[in-house]
Amino acid sequence: MGQHYDAIVIGGGHNGLVNAAYLAKAGKKVLVLERRHVLGGAAVTEEIIPGFLFSECSYVVSLLRPEIIRELDLPRHGMEILPLDGTFTPMPSGDHLWRMNDHARTQREIRRHSRLDAEAYDEFSKMMTPMCRFVKPILSMIPPDPTTLNPRDLKQLHFLMQRFRALSSDERYTLVQLMTMSAADFLDQWFETDVLKATMSASGIIGTFLGIRSPGTAYVLLHHYMGEIDGAFRSWGFSRGGTGAISNAIGAAAREAGVEIRTQAPVHKILVKNGRACGVVLKSGEEISAQVVSSSVDPHLTFEKFLEPSELPADFLESVRRYKYRGSSGKVNLALDALPDFKCMPGPGAHLRGAMSISPSIEYMERAYDDAKYGHFSRRPYIDMVIPSLTDPSVAPPGKHVLSCFVQYAPYKLAQGTWDDRREAFGDTVIDTIAEHAPNIKDIITGRQILTPLDLEREFGLTQGNIFQGELSLEQLFFLRPVPGWAYYRTPVDNLYMCGSATHPGGGIMGAPGRIASQVILKEWKKASAPSRSSKTAAIAHSHSETPPPPSQATTSAAHPPIEPAASPASVDRFAVAPKLDKN
Amino acid sequence: MPIGQRVVLIGGGHNALITAFYLAKGGFKPLLLERREIVGGGAITEEFHPGFRASTLAHTVGPLRADVARNLKLEKYDCHMLHPDPRVFSPTPDGKALLFYNDHAKTAGGIARFSAKDAAKYTEFAEALDQLSEVFAQLASITPPAIDTPSPEDLWNLFKTGRGVRSLGKKGIFNLLRWGPMAAADFVAEFFETELLRATIAARGIFGTALGPWSAGSTAVLLLRAAADSHPVGTAAFPHGGLGSLTRAIAEAARHAGAEIRTQAEVQHIRVKNGAVTSIVLADGEEIPTEAVVSGVDPKRTFFNLLDPSQLDPTFALRIRNIRATGNVAKVNLALNDLPSFPALAGTVGPDGFRQALSGRIHIGPEIDYLERAFDASKYGEFSTAPYLDVTIPTLLDPSLAPEGKHVLSAYVQFAPYKLKEGNWNSRRLQLGHTVVKTLSAYAPNLKDLIESMQVITPQDLETTYGFTGGHIFHGELALGQLFTMRPVLDWARYKTPIHGLFLCSSGTHPGNGLTGASGANAAREIIHNLR
Repeated sequence: MGQHYDAIVIGGGHNGLVNAAYLAKAGKKVLVLERRHVLGGAAVTEEIIPGFLFSECSYVVSLLRPEIIRELDLPRHGMEILPLDGTFTPMPSGDHLWRMNDHARTQREIRRHSRLDAEAYDEFSKMMTPMCRFVKPILSMIPPDPTTLNPRDLKQLHFLMQRFRALSSDERYTLVQLMTMSAADFLDQWFETDVLKATMSASGIIGTFLGIRSPGTAYVLLHHYMGEIDGAFRSWGFSRGGTGAISNAIGAAAREAGVEIRTQAPVHKILVKNGRACGVVLKSGEEISAQVVSSSVDPHLTFEKFLEPSELPADFLESVRRYKYRGSSGKVNLALDALPDFKCMPGPGAHLRGAMSISPSIEYMERAYDDAKYGHFSRRPYIDMVIPSLTDPSVAPPGKHVLSCFVQYAPYKLAQGTWDDRREAFGDTVIDTIAEHAPNIKDIITGRQILTPLDLEREFGLTQGNIFQGELSLEQLFFLRPVPGWAYYRTPVDNLYMCGSATHPGGGIMGAPGRIASQVILKEWKKASAPSRSSKTAAIAHSHSETPPPPSQATTSAAHPPIEPAASPASVDRFAVAPKLDKN
Repeated sequence: MPIGQRVVLIGGGHNALITAFYLAKGGFKPLLLERREIVGGGAITEEFHPGFRASTLAHTVGPLRADVARNLKLEKYDCHMLHPDPRVFSPTPDGKALLFYNDHAKTAGGIARFSAKDAAKYTEFAEALDQLSEVFAQLASITPPAIDTPSPEDLWNLFKTGRGVRSLGKKGIFNLLRWGPMAAADFVAEFFETELLRATIAARGIFGTALGPWSAGSTAVLLLRAAADSHPVGTAAFPHGGLGSLTRAIAEAARHAGAEIRTQAEVQHIRVKNGAVTSIVLADGEEIPTEAVVSGVDPKRTFFNLLDPSQLDPTFALRIRNIRATGNVAKVNLALNDLPSFPALAGTVGPDGFRQALSGRIHIGPEIDYLERAFDASKYGEFSTAPYLDVTIPTLLDPSLAPEGKHVLSAYVQFAPYKLKEGNWNSRRLQLGHTVVKTLSAYAPNLKDLIESMQVITPQDLETTYGFTGGHIFHGELALGQLFTMRPVLDWARYKTPIHGLFLCSSGTHPGNGLTGASGANAAREIIHNLR
């Protein structure tokens, strides 16, 4: 074997880079292996059309965890977040709904549609606040194992129970609803304005194969709402130079910490010797050995591609195969030589600087879902659009613009044809849909990039094109993510860890999985100077017992006990990869 | 309250009757008031065409919870259960079919003709369900715990439940946690590859609900039903003489135990003074003083129609208003002059097996997508053009329901939304009937030539004639957010209400999993405990 490392991180997405950076800061010799020629995974910027910088996948930056920004000193490494204000929803009637970060203005706008809703909007905000407070700490804890009688796990479960009991009756009532209801049903209880409910509930379906009337989506809605509560809008918005600039900043921080990063280094296999990971083999045949392998790619690649079935317990493998991806969204990036002109609000204006949401009614959203259920992309999809070039001129030639469109639904499995022959039709559908609200769009497009779920899989290694490395449905969250019994960043293979969005707390540019995983890895390193684990169960019991800050954090500038709300203002928006969405 | 005190029960559905029975046993003097001329609520037998009688609404039992059935001793009151075997006949339009027998091995034999893999899995599935059902049965039998101040009994119950859960083992517990919030379509797909098999079993998770097989949480409903009968497709049992003879027998048992039952006695108002019940007022003006009232009608009707809303705490009223309880079910009963022929049977059982094969439930809904599409229509205020049907031909085992040689066909129809986008249920009643006949004809081509008469019961009728507010046959949607400590609403899931002396015992309360009598029995236990 060639060189030897303490740790190899597979995948140069934001989580992999965060994970590597923290390991290096703890003094480990770390190598990051990225298959593509650029870093960032789905948080990447590329010049697809000369002069136009596309944030190809994730295009709006949501709350990257502040402690990561601070501990890795990302601003110094070139990360700059530019504000994104408001969500503008054009309506076929010629009217519109325009919600802004300014609560009062938003309320006035809503009053135009319904006096009652304007009042309810206040109460709604008041009620959502304690909800967010309740959930936040959960997002930054290593999930307990509900099946053991291990005192540490019981303690954590008890902690959760006590938190629930500490809520007021009304808060419990709302929380239970959020955990179990559909976004649309939940909002129906508060509001009467169809377009308001449709646009708000849109954030409940992102990255899922669910409709706004499917139970479980109210909970996703909550997470998007949390961003608003924190109100840290400076950390909200566009990254200067596109989303990729964030990955580059993390990469720079990692390099500074001593991490070695290799691009165009696709992994072929993870090397396992007597049940213990000991390195990787690249597609090139090169072997690299390491004490620990940390995989930021999804379980399908990690366990079904990089490992042999014989190296894994049968029932674990079964669970991995059962883990649901089901990509449901696509992305269309457009190069424009002018600004779109909305029928319902002609001319340029501030409404173009925020998110523009094509979600005119509950029925519209639900019918979009129905198409997908039977294997067709939506004839009239939900679209969330932004024009980053208005805020950050550096991403387009002077006077020209970039229009980034997140599109749902686009099912990975098509009933007829393949994505390769439906790709253009999909793009046309998206543009036709936009044209219904901004007719000039067709004349101002100078170039387009269409990313179907199949492209997301091929290009970015997202299995079945799921932007969160696995569906965010209730049965795949918390101690069930990614696989029941293995929600602790560990795997049945000793010294092999998971640190990607497929682990709790899930997808979104927040870096939490990468950071928590590094804590777990370092803790076990510390435990066994030679990281061999005689009794894994003991190891698990020990390590996720200590949810509070593991030794690793001693090396990081600020230690935050994971179970402390202050620690996780960002953790909230675990879903925010994609757009973000909904600023109420 | 001294023993021997009067307790007034509103509504003569099976749950209220069972509560009355237990209250009488407990030494109280129950007076049960039923608006209609017969007791039974949703479990009744009526003549819908001269000489033809049908179980108007419910056409199979839950079945009754074992201990309830034991205590009622219904056979003494001449109620004899019929247990069809096979329980379910599930055909496809292209002449294939599955038969679900009591004997899993026998069922698997039929499944093998579709997939050997599924045949092998079937028994495994039945066992998994059976194991889980014990946990759910335990949960269904307890009173949901008080979250703030759990009583010693609550803690004991939770401990017992906890033990039950732990007995499932690590894998079992994780399955329970995983399956609960899942879509039934995903759940069955974990076991089976045969579309017909998947659809027949998944249907159990959507029956009577506003869920499609792809709706998250429909598995929880399926498991809740398994608590009553852990057979993969559930029960097909019904009493000789139709469901009406079940409730009639329960009524007799209650009378025998000392309960007084009055029919054609419509309660119009529950009088409340200083937050406590003082009396109830009948439609004819009669006022019956009482300090204890048990409502067997659905929560919305109880609090918004029978009470002066000003008596309600606004938060509580809001929660009751938020209960999702708009029905999606209609019922069609056909009088037939002969037994329809199902070609699919030919390839499945020998000619002499036809009658037996049809004697249980007939499931119409051959594919998951078929069921989902049926559901889709209802989301937009339309009834399904190709509905999911749960059909019985009770006259095969109980000829007494129809004239010599003739038959009754009774079909539950999903999805038929309470609120229609176009027209109203009176203007569209016949259209629904024809849709059902057309759908059935794809499986029994000669059906339309056999029809002597057709009764169509729309969601509107369910409300106006039978008293199900919003036309919901379970008094409230069976959804994750409306079960256990959330049924009917959080903080008031223990059969008590904020009104002193007013209790609930209908399927709007925990567990509300169909015709099992569990709600009524649980309620009686709490009421006796509270009144003593």
